[in-house]
Amino acid sequence: MRLLKTGRWITVVGLSLLAAVYVRALAFTPVERTQGVAQKIFYLHVPAAIWTETGMILVGVASIFYLFLKDPRLDRFAEASAEVGMLFGTIVLTTGPIWGKPIWGTWWTWDARLTLTLLLFLMYVGYLLLRGAVTEPGLRARYAAVLGISGMCLVPFVHLSVYMFRTLHPQPIVLKPSAPSLPGAMLATLAFSFLVFTVLYVGFVTQRYALTLLREQTEPHA
Amino acid sequence: MPENTPYMVTAYIITAAILIGYAVFLYRRTLKP
Amino acid sequence: MPDVWRHAWLLARKDLLIEFRSRTAILSAVVFTILVLLVFNFGRDPTAVAAVDLAPSILWVTFTFAAMLALNRAFQLELENQALDGLLLAPVSRSSIYLGKLMANLVFVATVEGIGLPLFALFFNVSVVPVLGPLCAVIALATVGFVAVGTLFSAMTGRTRFAELLLPVLLLPFMLPPLIWAVLATSALLAGRPLSEVVGWLRLLAAFDIVFVTLAFFLFPATVNE
Repeated sequence: MRLLKTGRWITVVGLSLLAAVYVRALAFTPVERTQGVAQKIFYLHVPAAIWTETGMILVGVASIFYLFLKDPRLDRFAEASAEVGMLFGTIVLTTGPIWGKPIWGTWWTWDARLTLTLLLFLMYVGYLLLRGAVTEPGLRARYAAVLGISGMCLVPFVHLSVYMFRTLHPQPIVLKPSAPSLPGAMLATLAFSFLVFTVLYVGFVTQRYALTLLREQTEPHA
Repeated sequence: MPENTPYMVTAYIITAAILIGYAVFLYRRTLKP
Repeated sequence: MPDVWRHAWLLARKDLLIEFRSRTAILSAVVFTILVLLVFNFGRDPTAVAAVDLAPSILWVTFTFAAMLALNRAFQLELENQALDGLLLAPVSRSSIYLGKLMANLVFVATVEGIGLPLFALFFNVSVVPVLGPLCAVIALATVGFVAVGTLFSAMTGRTRFAELLLPVLLLPFMLPPLIWAVLATSALLAGRPLSEVVGWLRLLAAFDIVFVTLAFFLFPATVNE
């Protein structure tokens, strides 16, 4: 199947480029002064977080279009995006605490990114569980769409409340993970990493979509 | 700070494991006839 | 009064009549609330932690459980005797079914909260009366928030295999934000903070309610249309 092959190639390219990111981040990017080597986790953590959130927004958008157009391709895409989004969420939720421990002395902190990603992760889990619990394809697609749209609408509220929480409880400025003004070399590494995560997202979603299509083709509907 | 290195290494390994693991998972799932 | 609201009210009345005639659900919810409050009360060391510090969290855990109880049975009435089909054939819009369910659920949860709040004030010796107005506003707004989303989701989970397990899982990420805002607002009110500090949370809660009730109103038909 051509879609599957394309997906596989994109993924292979993505993984190869990931190796390049690793090399660049570890060997060719300056070490941050206050946080030391642990700061390099940032180059994986941030792009993964961006895609965790974007994945959910795409699930929501695809769901809206699905409810109007009833095109099963949109439903397949939503399912794929949810699974891949959850995967990236796992990366954020594991690298986050690992980064937090040496820097802030604690495994978990309620900072903006981790809190949002935790909620997104829970939404993804719910979304996939709901899909798993409904056997009839048409019903499953509709229910998933309702949940997906609701999830997407929740995201701005989480951003808002994290912002409000921060204005009430000011966080230490010195060791903030998302330094707004990064030196050029670090910014370049981050941008490169983000590009690679984008390629991986596309590759994974394409394959996952193809997988669903394959399953539908080999198993005739009941 | 050299003492941070284990954390960084762990995080990098876990990330790679998750991504490569999923790629392998997809590859095997799509091989079945 | 536009049809949507009239039909919704009729449907809500029907549910409430059934509910209050048998009284089992409301009684079990109230008993459960008392149980939770008692457990929290005996579970803490009064010399170590002041009631006022824990109170907001305890109050909201209790209310959340009550809401979950209400939502779990929300569409159960319709599952029996295929009553849902009957409802769908009736000349009412799908959205009024949602509003009717929402209203019935809100009355149910409000009743439990109405009993729970005085009991809470009594058991934990928390003076609620000075801030009763704003506190009721917080409770009302937060409750509308989770019940609105919960009613929509319970329409979907009702027919699945692990309905009682799936609903809380789906609902969790949606309940967390309003719950957190409600706890923070309650905490501020009980600690005697000025109202200006609480207004922000009230606005967030109100915005959440408006967005999600509207969203659910438009999405509900997708959960029942064949």
